[in-house]
Formats: sequence, structure tokens, C-alpha cells
Amino acid sequence: MPGPLRIVIVGGGTAGWMTAAALVSVFGPAHRQVRLIESSEIGIVGVGEATLPHIRFFNRRIGIDERELMAKTQATFKLGIEFVDWARRGDSYIHPFGAYGSRLAGVPFHHYWLRQREAGDPTPIEEYSLPIMASRANKFALPAEDPSSVLSTFGYAFQFDASLYARYLRGFSEARGVQRTDGRIVDVKLRAADGWVESVKLDSGEVVTGDLFIDCSGFRGLLIEQALKTGYDEWTKWLPCDRAMAVPCENSGPLTPYTRATAREAGWQWRIPLQHRTGNGYVYSSHFISDDEAASRLLERLDGQKLADPRPLRFTAGRRRKTWNRNVVAIGLSGGFLEPLESTSIYLIQIAITTLIDYLAPASGPSTDAGRFDPRIVDAFNRWIEMEYDRVRDFLILHYHATERDDAPIWNYCRTMPIPDSLAHKMELFRTRGHVVTYKDGLFLEPSWLAVYLGQRVMPRGHDARADLPHGTDIGTHLTRVRDSIQDALARMPMHEDFLQMYCPATLP
Amino acid sequence: MSQLRNIAVAGHGVEAWIVAAGLRRAFRARPLDVRVVATPAQPARIGRWTLPSQRGMHSLLGVNESTLLAQTGATFKLATEHFGWQGEGSRWLHAHGDIGAEMAGTPFYKFLLNELLAGRRQAPESFSLAGTAATLGKFARPMGEGRALTAGFTYGFHLDEAGYSRFLRAHALGLGATETSAPLRDVRVGENGCITGLVLADGAEITADYYVDCSGAAASLMSRVTGDDREDWSAWLPCDRMWSATAPALDDPPALTRTFAGSAGWRWRAPLAAGSLVGHVFASRFEDEAVARAELQAFEPRAGEPVLTSFSAGRRRRFWAGNCVAVGESSVALEPLAGAELHLAQLGLARFLELFPLDRASTIEADEYNRVMAEHADALRDFTLAHYRVATVPGAFWDAVRSKDPPARLAERLDLYGAGGRINLHDHETFEETDWAWLLLGGGRTPDSLELQIRLQIEKFSAQEIGALRDHVKQLAASMPRHLDFVRRVQK
Ligand SMILES: Cc1cc2nc3c(=O)[nH]c(=O)nc-3n(C[C@H](O)[C@H](O)[C@H](O)COP(=O)(O)OP(=O)(O)OC[C@H]3O[C@@H](n4cnc5c(N)ncnc54)[C@H](O)[C@@H]3O)c2cc1C
Repeated sequence: MPGPLRIVIVGGGTAGWMTAAALVSVFGPAHRQVRLIESSEIGIVGVGEATLPHIRFFNRRIGIDERELMAKTQATFKLGIEFVDWARRGDSYIHPFGAYGSRLAGVPFHHYWLRQREAGDPTPIEEYSLPIMASRANKFALPAEDPSSVLSTFGYAFQFDASLYARYLRGFSEARGVQRTDGRIVDVKLRAADGWVESVKLDSGEVVTGDLFIDCSGFRGLLIEQALKTGYDEWTKWLPCDRAMAVPCENSGPLTPYTRATAREAGWQWRIPLQHRTGNGYVYSSHFISDDEAASRLLERLDGQKLADPRPLRFTAGRRRKTWNRNVVAIGLSGGFLEPLESTSIYLIQIAITTLIDYLAPASGPSTDAGRFDPRIVDAFNRWIEMEYDRVRDFLILHYHATERDDAPIWNYCRTMPIPDSLAHKMELFRTRGHVVTYKDGLFLEPSWLAVYLGQRVMPRGHDARADLPHGTDIGTHLTRVRDSIQDALARMPMHEDFLQMYCPATLP
Repeated sequence: MSQLRNIAVAGHGVEAWIVAAGLRRAFRARPLDVRVVATPAQPARIGRWTLPSQRGMHSLLGVNESTLLAQTGATFKLATEHFGWQGEGSRWLHAHGDIGAEMAGTPFYKFLLNELLAGRRQAPESFSLAGTAATLGKFARPMGEGRALTAGFTYGFHLDEAGYSRFLRAHALGLGATETSAPLRDVRVGENGCITGLVLADGAEITADYYVDCSGAAASLMSRVTGDDREDWSAWLPCDRMWSATAPALDDPPALTRTFAGSAGWRWRAPLAAGSLVGHVFASRFEDEAVARAELQAFEPRAGEPVLTSFSAGRRRRFWAGNCVAVGESSVALEPLAGAELHLAQLGLARFLELFPLDRASTIEADEYNRVMAEHADALRDFTLAHYRVATVPGAFWDAVRSKDPPARLAERLDLYGAGGRINLHDHETFEETDWAWLLLGGGRTPDSLELQIRLQIEKFSAQEIGALRDHVKQLAASMPRHLDFVRRVQK
């Protein structure tokens, strides 16, 4: 095998440090040399605070201790996302990290629920989901392994302080041999022969060369776009929000084991509870509200005293045309942006990192730069990342499009905009017969689609014909049993706050 | 509640009875009238081999496997053994089971790839219980759970067509399906492209809410609805004829199907409990029917009178149009190399049940069905075609197959594997990573490299563990009964 791969990571935000941590723990020093360059002068975005359950696989794979991570990042548990005022004002639903009931005779549970509903049973579907019921009660317990237990029907994620997360990963990475340099990159040199990145130059004058460059430089895309001009596919016509104001505030009320997203007059507002404070933000479209007004609306609607001034952010929904171009891989905001409505950015970072790790195959012959990254592998990598982005995109659009709201121009626009055919097809199938289109890879399984369809008031007109079981099969009893087992489990669950105190009380940095 | 009250299934064989039985069983709680209308019999198949998914089909239909074996003389199939595809004397196996056992979170076939890269070739079957048992002529059903070697395989069947069809007919009728008084003579299609009725040979006319076309290559119903709206695959898969015949029983036959590469196609042999089946699949463009027939004769001089079946590789663009659904060979024509024809019928049935229309007006179900079934069909085509892509047989037929660029998805898959030994799958595929590993390893495809993180895991494998695995496989296989002994025991 050729000598160690010289990897240069440009950027020290969430993306940069997650990449560094993963590369040094999966590959030993014989195989890689990892250097990270960040500019403390430029700083990081630092607002990505809500995650998805997949982050636990990442932690496990690279050997991060969950309790330690949580304690050091002021983290709380997350069982799902509450959506308030989305389909209509006054509505609230939770997209849970877990299933509703369980399949019966090979047919998904919700068809039985639909059938009972048609027959006049008014029980909301929420009552068949343990993570939703626990969220509503502000309770939390770790899931069980035993598949016969109702406690095995959910997963969880974290809500954490993004700056502390980057700091934690930095410590983790440096301890494993990542060399960090604080400096601003002022120039990027391309190889004349093939246009690959040869080196980057820092403001100190130092020139850093490498074999593989990971662009984690944030929205600017220092290498992937500014140097390589890769191009960007924009999705603003479907996801019109292009700005955000972010502000932390003091905690008040019980610590919720979920994130909240409330629809507003020109976008939506997030609320992410951490142990020491609550993160808030207003994601909006600059077409429909001014920055000043967004900031003041946000401040009016905090549950506690603000802890800083609102910070403005700008973005464009979309994806880089190629995530991996020549010897540059764009991970994080440099690779694309999908608004944080379903907390997908850190997941997309994770997927880019693990896919890169899984696909890297050193040339077996004598080492040549060109041979290190076989175009056949690069193409397959790019197709994979594209698929991931596209699937998340459709799911996000659903939230905006399936609304009955007509009280603000943004909702009128989204309700009536043309949507991708792939999404229109999925929605029509659900509306007709409660059928959820599922797929093998990529984010969002059946319960997620179900939660959002129903929550957004896309109500099926029928249900799966197979759920009309033989007479005498008492579906009502089966449903009651599911509800009872959830209530039993709930009664024994501790409060989220108490569980945190016991499991991972924050340690001061 | 679905408004559909009656369904007509047009067909004359196994597929029609599977669909009729499946519909009746899934909706046994409701008054769903399922009538089978016989379609003109084409030159029938003699028999077939199936994928392991046929077991799931049997349980969906409520078919008892032992009864099936007792009444039809079927045998088990643990693997397909391919002879001569990589030149004279070559042989590779595709078993219906794991290759080795996952170690350090890494699929075991990666270890074999790593060995290949180091210039050491090891047969995957020596690490596979199904593969070793098949090679030794042994058989037992899988047992246990999880990672146990005895749980890591499954099996398909070798079936006599007439016997299987009779058996399924009785089963379907027992479930309440009925047969019409006479076979199909004509199909009436309305202006909106929906079937309005079927005219029978005795002049009677029947109508149904929905029509399922299981008439095989003739596509007696669907061809009237969408005409010849097909995607042609014959440039990739030029075989378009098959001679097949029954032959005397084999002596102590192993639980596997054998294929033998020939000059313009391939021959096959499959065991039954009291006889055997042989066939010759060929491209009429490269071999005369008479020559092909003689070739089969030479291959098995004791074979009975052979029958000729014709097909043209391809699929319908729409599997479901209006109130007509084409299931199985009426929708997809594929040579039997991968043994997936009944699997397609089964997928068609399962998806139709899942999307069973709630009323006659809705069309979204057809869109979804067509999307998913097309993906399945294309994936099966790719797997079949991959056998040819890894073949190294010389000659005009083989050159022609190899000179045509493969479909994009297959090209991408072979490229990724070729570069780094990685196998990625799409959403709706029948064959899994392990099946592709059997094929690519067996076919002698050595990747240029192997994923770094996989290599690092493989370094943790111990030679002792690997030796123990091989020994364990051998012992377990040796302890199994002989295939036909097992069959006879089940038949009782
Ligand atoms: C409003 C908003 C809310 C979000 N909420 C969530 C959420 O809830 N969940 C979630 O998963 N994600 C969320 N995200 C996304 C998440 O914040 C980002 O994915 C994450 O922070 C990764 O950012 P990054 O590391 O790519 O970029 P950044 O944090 O911008 O880091 C860029 C790095 O590059 C360095 N750099 C840039 N230029 C140079 C240069 N010339 N020389 C040297 N160094 C340079 C910077 O110093 C910095 O270290 C949100 C994003 C936004 C905008």
C-alpha cells in the first residue's frame, strides 16, 4: 500500500471537527495524516444544535462516549420534533423517532387505525406512539433492547450546544493526532496538469500541501466552489427560506425532550432546549419579511430572557453539483444546505463522512495521485450523496406544501407552488389510501412520513384493503392493548430533567 | 372498504393459480369472487427452478411444503452450479446462503476479495454451508436463529410444471376460486382503455371489476390494452428459445441446478424426485432450432420428446393499465438463468395485494405498481445479464453479448465493484449483496482495490478463526442427510 494519505481539512466548525474525529479514529497513523486549518478570526456558524438518532451510530463507530459527550455539551435528549401551527393555526403534532403500534398480518399498523377511525373511533394516532406520549409528558428513558418490549419502539437523539460540540470533538481529535492550525487561507493553488488542488496558502505565508482536501469552510465553499467552480443546484423555488436570526435565551418551564418548530408569518421559529439555555431562531424568507422585523418578532416570542443579540445568517437551499470533485470533498455547509426544519444538516455531514470512509480504496499499484481516487468510486460516492439530499428535500417540501394556511403570503405561495413529481406521487398515494412510499436507503422511514402527512392534515380517503380482516378479529381490542402498554411504560418513565441529572449532568467546560 | 367484488384471472398455469389463490386467501374475509379463465395453452414449460422466495409464497398461500413435495415430486435447490462460463473446465457456484459469517462487522466475502488481490483464490462455497452441502449432495432445512451457520441459508425448489400447476389449481379452488366454463376467445376493450368483458369459447361473456393477465408471453389481455408497448432487452440478452424435456432420474442428485455454457447459449439440468429435467436455452440468431435440438439430444440422449418455447427478452412499459394487471411472464420475459420468473409473479401478486384498488376509478395505484415493478424487473435483468458479463467464453454469440454496453445501473455497479470491491444496491432488488458476491467472485472478477476500512478490519481476522469456520462448515454439511433421502422422508 502507498504511504499515508495526507488529508487537509479546511474549516473547524461542526463539519470539520466531525470529519477530523472520524478519520483519525477509523484509520490509524500508518494510513493517514490529518491536518485541520481553521480561522478563529472568521469563526463558525455554530447554530446546529438539534440532531437525529443516527448520530449515535456515528458516536459508536468512532468511539465517542455518549454520557461524556452529553455532559460536556450541555446536552438534552430528543425524542422528536413538535410542529406547531403548520397545517392550521392551533395545530400541534409531533414527528417522533419511533414507530406507531406494530404491523399486524403484514400490514402497517396505521391502516388499522384508519379503519377504526372510519368506523368512528376518535383516538388520535399519537396515543399509539410511546415517544410522542413521553414527549407530551416531558419524560424520558433509554430504549430497551428486547424487541417484544414497547420500550424498544423508539430511538433518540441529542440537543446540544454546537460550539461546545466542536470544542469537544477538537479535544477528541487532537488527542488522536490531528494537527490543528489557526490561520486564514488566502490562496488556493491548483495543479496545472489536471486542476487538482495542490496546496493552500495561509495568511502566515505557510503553504500546506495534501493529497485529499476536505472543504468544511462553510457556505463560502472555499475550495469546492471558489477554487474549483463546481456549481450549485438551487432549490429556493420549493424551499423559499433564505435567512435566519438566531438567539439564545434562558430556560423556563420543564425541559422538553423534543425540539419545537412553530410556523410563523414568513417562515418558522425553532426552539431547542439545552441544559443551560434554550436555543431559538427564526428561519424566514427575505421576500416576505425584513431582517429587522424578523429579529423583533423573534425576540417577542422567546420563553425566557435573551442571552445575546440576534445573529443573522444567510443561505440558499440546494446542493453542490458534485460533493466530491477532483481531490476535494465538500462536507457540511460547503456541500449544500437544507433548512434545519428536520435537523438534517448534521446527519448529512455524518453521511458524507461515513460514505467517504467506506468508499476510500487506495490504489493497489504503485502510488500515483490520480490512482488514489478512482473516478468510478468518486461517481458512486456522488450519486449516493445526491440520493440522500433529494430524499430529504422532498420530505421538507411536504411540510410547507401540505398546509391549509392562507393567512400569510408565504403560506399562499407554498400551498400553491408546483412540487417535484416524486413528492406529488407520494402524496397522492397517501391521500388515496394511506400508502406510504418507502425506500431502502436514505432518511425518513414510514413512521416519519406518516407523522408528517397526518400532522399536515393530508388525510387518507381509504386504507389498505388487507386491513379488513375476517369478522370476529377484534381490531379494537388489539389497538386498546397497544395503548395500554404505552400508558404502562409511560407511568414508569422518569421526567426528562430527572433522567438527565442522573445520566449526564453538565460539567462546566 | 374496497368496492371491488370480482376479479378475472386469465391464464392456464402456475402463475394464474398462484394469483387466484393469493387473492382469495388475502381477502378471504370478504366476498371477493375470483374466476380463472383459461387462455390458449402455449407450448408449455416442462418444469422450472425457483428462488427461495417461493417458500414465502407458499406460506402466503397457505401451502404446506411437505404436501407439495409428496404430491408433485419436487426437490430442493440450494444452489446453481455454472459450468464452463469461464472457459473449459471452469465451474462456479451461486448458493442461496451466506458466504462465511460476518467478522469484525465485515462481510466475509470481503476477506475472499482480499485474498484474490493477494493472488490467492479460495472457493466461496468452502465457507458456505449451503454451498458445501449442495456440492456434497446433502440437504437439510435451515435451523436456529441469528448468526448460527445453520440459519444462514435458504432454498428454492425444482418443480415439474404440470404437477405443480395441478397442485396449485386444487389449492386455489379449495380457497374458493372458480373456473369458467370455457377458455378465453376474445377480449372486449372499451374506449377508455379498460377491459369491459371477456368472451369465452362457448359464447358466454363474463365481466369483472379487474382483470389479471397471467397468460404468459401471449399477454392475451394486456396486449389488447397497451398493444406491444415493450422495452426490448434482446441486444443484451439475445437468447430467445428454449428446448426442454424430461429425462430419467439422476443417481443421487445434489440439491442444485446445473448450467453449462454452450456456443450460442447454455444447457441446464435439474433433479426431480422421480426423474429429471433438461433444457437448452439459445439465441436463434446464432443457432438453428434443429441444431439446438440436436445439441440437447447429445447433452442428454435419454431425454424425452423436447418442447420448444420462444420468448423475447424485455418487459412491458406498463404492467398495470386501466383495470388490467399483467403479472409474471405476461409482463416480463427473461431467460430462466436466475430462476426468477415465478419470483416476478409473486412480486406482482404481493404488490397488487398491497395496492389493491379501493375503487375502479383510481389510477395512482397503477403508477406506483408500474414504478416499483419496473425497478424489480430491471434489477433481475441486470443480475441475469451479469452472468454473461463475467463470462469469458469465446465465440460469436458471447462476443456479441459482451460488445453491447450494459444498462447504466449495471455498468455503475460493475464499475464500483471493479474499482474497490464494493457492492451497492438500489431500492427494489431481489438479489442481495451476497448474491452479487457469489456471482462476481465466482465469475472471477477481481477488483482493482479494496476499501481501506475493510482491509483494516480484515487484518483483525485470525487464520485460526478462518480455518475453524471452514472446518465447521464441512462438519455440518457432512452431518446432513443426502438430498433425495431428505426429500423422501418429507414426502411420507
Ligand atoms: C439557521 C441554521 C440553523 C441550523 N440548525 C441546525 C440543526 O438544528 N441541526 C443540524 O443538524 N444542523 C443545523 N444547521 C446546520 C449546521 O449549523 C451546520 O451544518 C454545521 O454547523 C456545519 O457547519 P460547517 O462546519 O459546515 O460550517 P461553519 O460552521 O461555517 O464552519 C466553517 C469553518 O471554516 C473556517 N473557514 C472559513 N473560511 C476560511 C478561510 N479562508 N481560512 C481558514 N478557515 C476558514 C471557519 O473558520 C470555520 O471554522 C443549521 C444551520 C443554520 C444556518
